[in-house]
Formats: sequence, C-alpha cells, structure tokens
Amino acid sequence: MSKPHDMGGRFDSRRIDIKSSNVKFKADWEKEVFAITLALGFSSLWNLDRSRYARETLEPEDYLQFSYFEKWLAGLINLLGENGIIKDGTESEDNFKKSSFRVLEAKNVKKLLNMGGPTQRDSNSEKKFNLGETVSVRANNSNTKVEKGHTRLPDYVKGRTGKVIAYHGSHVFPDANAHFLGESPEALYSVEFKSQDLWDKCEHVEDTVVVDLWESYIEKFK
Amino acid sequence: MKKDNLKQFYKEFPSNPDARVKALKSILEKEGLIDQKALDGILDTYQNKVGPLNGAKIVAKAWTNKKFKEDLIYNTDQVLKDMDLNGRQGEHVVVVENTETVHNLIVCTLCSCYPWPLLGLPPSWYKSDAYRSRAVREPRAVLSDFDVKLPRSKKVKVWDSTSEIRYLVLPQQPSRSKGLSENELVSWVTRDSMIGTGFPKPPTGE
Repeated sequence: MSKPHDMGGRFDSRRIDIKSSNVKFKADWEKEVFAITLALGFSSLWNLDRSRYARETLEPEDYLQFSYFEKWLAGLINLLGENGIIKDGTESEDNFKKSSFRVLEAKNVKKLLNMGGPTQRDSNSEKKFNLGETVSVRANNSNTKVEKGHTRLPDYVKGRTGKVIAYHGSHVFPDANAHFLGESPEALYSVEFKSQDLWDKCEHVEDTVVVDLWESYIEKFK
Repeated sequence: MKKDNLKQFYKEFPSNPDARVKALKSILEKEGLIDQKALDGILDTYQNKVGPLNGAKIVAKAWTNKKFKEDLIYNTDQVLKDMDLNGRQGEHVVVVENTETVHNLIVCTLCSCYPWPLLGLPPSWYKSDAYRSRAVREPRAVLSDFDVKLPRSKKVKVWDSTSEIRYLVLPQQPSRSKGLSENELVSWVTRDSMIGTGFPKPPTGE
C-alpha cells in the first residue's frame, strides 16, 4: 500500500479546478503558516527532508482531509514538539536547547532566501549507471534504513524498467537525511519510463514519465 | 533497523486552523523564536517580488537570443545564478524545451515541488490531489481540463519532481509572435505555459 502523500497514478476522477489558479493564500492564517514555516526552516533544528517527512506522517485521514497549509501547520507543530519547543508533559526540562536555535532576523531574509539550500555535493565515488542505460527500479520502495521512514521513490515506478536520460551529480540522500543519519550523497539520475510500461491503459504509446531517482533506488536491468 | 516516529503533537492544538496558528504563534513569540519583521519580509518576497514574470523574461530572452537559449538549456544553474534567480526551491533547475514533437508537463506527485524563484508560489491546482494523482497516469486528460488539446503527433513527457531538481518548460514561440521584441514577448509567456498546462498567448486586449 502506498502512503497517503504518494499520489502519483492514484485513480482520481476529479477535474482540475483551474479557477483556483491565482490564489496564493486563501486566508491570513495561511500566510502566517507559510512565513513561520520558512522562518523556522532556518532554525537549524531540522532540514527540508525532515519537514517533508513530518507532513507525510500526519494521521492519514488528516493528511487527506487537511488543506495544503493545514498540513504544513500540523507538520510544523510536530517538528517543534520533537524538539521540545512544544511540550506534551513527557519531556525532561532541558529537552529544548534554545542556544542552538537560530532565530531568522529580518536583515538576513533576502540573503538566506537567495542562497537557498543547494543539495548537490562533491563525490569521489564513481557513478554506476550511464546515460542511455536501461535500469530497473527496486521492487520495494520502503526506506531501507528506517522502518516506515521517508523516501522519494514513488510507489508507481517500483519494479518498473526505464532508461537513464540525465545524471545530475551527487545529491543529499533524503532517505538518510530525513532521519538525521547524515547527508549520504548519492548519484542522482533522471529515468524515463514509457507510460505503457507504467499503466494498464495508457493514453498514447509514445508518452513517457520522467522521475528523478537516486542511485540506490535503481538496479542494473537483468 | 532504526525506528523513528514523530509524535502527533498537533492533535493537542485547537482544530480550527486560524486558532491553531494563533496558539502556535503565541508559544513561539513567548520563547522569542520568531521575528515579525522577518516573517513580513518572507511574505513580501513571495507575494510581491517573486512570480512568473521572472520565468517569462527568461523564456522571452531564449526565444530571441539563440546563444542565451543554448546557455539556458545546457548551463542552466550558472545562467540563473548570474541573473540572481537561483534562490530557495530553485537551486538546481532543468529547462525542458517543447518542440514540434514533444510537449513537456511538470508535476510533483509526492508534495508540491515548484521552481519558486522563476514562477513564484504554485497555484492551488498544482498542489491538489487530483493534479498530483492524474498528471502521470493521464496527462492528456489533465491537459483537456485546461483546454489544451495536443495532436497525436506530439509525445507528452511528464516530469515528476521527486528530487531537488526543479523543472521549467520552455514553451514554443507562437508563430503569430515572430518578429516581436524580447520586451514585447514577455507578456505572451503565461505561467501555465512554463508548467506545460498552457500555451503562450497574446496579452489580453490584443
């Protein structure tokens, strides 16, 4: 069973509500959630992969019912709880070390947003796959290090076969980084799949889907 | 194997989102962990400064300047860095070009990854369950929701943003717009044409 956030290919008969087009924030509280989430992202207590994991692990019924920014809000509260900033009575007094929390100051906003958080890393290990090579995706898309852990390997490509069409250098590995197991950079590839190899009924035999996959998500085609 | 379960602290908060944010904010303020001016600065950036106009300028330039287009496609990160357009959620960008035979469409099935510095924040539909679910399985049906019809001679190539690479579609220049200046062309480039759910079109009024 795929996790609630892993939506690619799920049957859904709803039309796309294109009239929702230009709305950035539906209410003031959404603005607050957005700004606070970004600001606390600079606190150094967690990373982008952790914050995605925090949203993905909300109670499944909430994940599906919450609006977009309600997910952000609940995920943020869980991260703050994990760090002892929000308390549930079970933590020891010194759980939260305020000295390690970096408060985002107004004067640094522009600089930090411009800097972003590049994930490409130097690597001395040789990449395993070449452009044009046919590869198979692992048959199981569970995190191999952490039970029920974070992964960026979508359910709909597991066990499928595609072709490497781009190599992007080594990138921080979300499956490790989301669980504070280090950045463990790995080669990152774009792999192109024929739609007819993914779906029972495809719209057009020429159509394809490209997915970015880390090296340990894929294997040599046998 | 390690176990890692975040606890559901949010359940202890008011369920109404407005009240929930207020409760959270008062804790953060009490602890001195947020600076209101910084929050205002973040909102100002994404509400007023960063938006699809950034992407549109790049596309118009690529349409009128062959050398720039080549650099944009083959040396993307450097070009965007030189233009100061490689910030948060646009650290690593790949530009995919629409041609006579290929139409590109961008989605993020796992969350809502989107090239912020080039297009601003994503529209609601981009983040919707329906778009995230359907774009990879039935892109042509999704496109028809946008009134985009593609000839069978065109292949649809869907890009699922599963990593920190962000994708921007370089749409084809409409033949009606040939001969216009780079400046004039900017207003032809719609946000949707850079996601792949639309085509460039003349500015309203023409």
